[in-house]
Amino acid sequence: MKTTPVRRTARVGVQLLVAAGGVVFAAVLAYAFLSALKPGGEVLSVPLHWWPSSFEWHNFARPFTEAAFSRYYLNSVFVGVSVTLLNIVTCTLAGYSFSKFSYPGRNTAFVVVLATLMVPLEVIYVPLYALVFDLGWVNSFAGLIIPAGTSAFGIFLMRQSIDSVPDELLEAARLDGAGVVRTLLTIIGPLVRGPIAALALFIFLMNWDSHLWPLLVASDDEHRTLPVGLAAMQANNLGASSVPMMMAAAVLALLPTIVLFLSLQKRFVEGVAMSAGLR
Amino acid sequence: MTAPTRPDQASPPAVNPRHRPSGAGIRRRRRVHRRDLLGALLSVPALALFAVFAIYPGLRVFYLSLFDYSLTAPPEFVGLDNFRFLATDPRFRETVLNSIFYTVGTYLPALVLALLLAIVLRRMTAGLGWVRLLYFLPVATSWVAIAVVWRLVLHPDGLLNQTLGLDVTWLSSSSSARWALVIMGVWKETGFFLILFLAGLARLPAEVHEAALVDGANAWQRFWRVTFPLLKPITAICTIIAVIRGFQSFSPQVVLTDGAFGTEVVNQFVYKTAFESARMGRASAVAVLMFALLIAVTMVQLRVFRREDS
Repeated sequence: MKTTPVRRTARVGVQLLVAAGGVVFAAVLAYAFLSALKPGGEVLSVPLHWWPSSFEWHNFARPFTEAAFSRYYLNSVFVGVSVTLLNIVTCTLAGYSFSKFSYPGRNTAFVVVLATLMVPLEVIYVPLYALVFDLGWVNSFAGLIIPAGTSAFGIFLMRQSIDSVPDELLEAARLDGAGVVRTLLTIIGPLVRGPIAALALFIFLMNWDSHLWPLLVASDDEHRTLPVGLAAMQANNLGASSVPMMMAAAVLALLPTIVLFLSLQKRFVEGVAMSAGLR
Repeated sequence: MTAPTRPDQASPPAVNPRHRPSGAGIRRRRRVHRRDLLGALLSVPALALFAVFAIYPGLRVFYLSLFDYSLTAPPEFVGLDNFRFLATDPRFRETVLNSIFYTVGTYLPALVLALLLAIVLRRMTAGLGWVRLLYFLPVATSWVAIAVVWRLVLHPDGLLNQTLGLDVTWLSSSSSARWALVIMGVWKETGFFLILFLAGLARLPAEVHEAALVDGANAWQRFWRVTFPLLKPITAICTIIAVIRGFQSFSPQVVLTDGAFGTEVVNQFVYKTAFESARMGRASAVAVLMFALLIAVTMVQLRVFRREDS
């Protein structure tokens, strides 16, 4: 059927409407950023002024001077990077094991791993906390990092990716005298760099967002991560004068994942789509 | 494979059979076996972490749900008392209803919106490709940080009221606080499902769509008769994920209202029961019920969508 002018106009109209909706969605983030730059009295002014009358960049220093924000930030970066590295190692090793070796119990182990996807943290965190408590890991980085050290999604992803590495290549490496680990590092590693990047991005974003578990196991100031610290800051700074500081803190907390998203859009979208394809 | 030369290993080093023709068959089988054993060992770090930090607590939650347990004293068996208590506890019932409200209120509009947006965004005119990024942005935000932002958006003199000319106390009245959470939830979650629907649409065969075009079907017919039926599997997956995400919700309720004004959800109930009232057994019982609910919802949805398929 030919596209009539009326139909084309309607199509353009719908597209413009959707584009406008997108601008509305993103406006919330712009509002947060501009509010973080406003002088204290201006953030809740009536009528609303989008543009700050003067740019108060020093608002971005306030979270650091008025709260232990640098501690929260460093903790989040440290825990996020540690958990991500740990996941890359454990998931790649397990994926390699499930993909390229045959031994009794292999398939059962893989099915059990996938079955854990059905059980979210929210269902198991009471006994998990009791366990970490018994281990003496409450208020420690170990309690934040080690229980998050592997992921069923990651193992699935790495197994699928390593499946596509041809066996002949591995056989050739073996005949050349390369061991199991050397084969992984020199042959498989470079071929699955993409999936590893997707996994790293996915794990880091999840960890950056993690709130409930850190709140339980690391609520002291020394170990608080950003979500726990931010929520505490918010509860302690309800006054209007604190709004620019809180907006600055929120923007700083949002920045790393938004930058990662904008620079790695394709991997990000693939990762989200893959994580759902599992269920 | 490099020959293992550790002295504690009695077996002779495995050597490339081409260099040692005699008995190569036996050595080869042994070597393959040993290699597989080493391969099996590679899965141990992940499996050990799963066993200790996922499977053990996953089984123990059922066990603990039958006990009175305060973490510091040994658990005391109470049979089904925890479940009996929950069955009659008005606060528990209220948090369940609040969770249902939040889940349906947020995820039903988010799913519908995501599907409609996906249909339009799939064939965006050149030059408007950046639009989908705007919708994806909320997916890259963390719940606590964005909830801090939404406290300002939802302030009586904040962005929402001033833009729409409203005068609603979004976060401090029991009639509107639950809607405030829904509004923020739709903003935050639509992009996630949009990504899933776009991925689903990208996998559909283009010929089907074109055939419908040739048959003279209009956009509405094409959607209902061609696209939507083909999207059933992904819609089923999205609905299941939506229910799971909805019932897991915790951070927005903590930051926006701290559970006040009729917004306390099941997860907050579990948290407070376990860690403020130190009743780990009762909290485990709630977790067991939550698990049962998630399984039941998954089964029902898969069955419903499958039946409609056939």
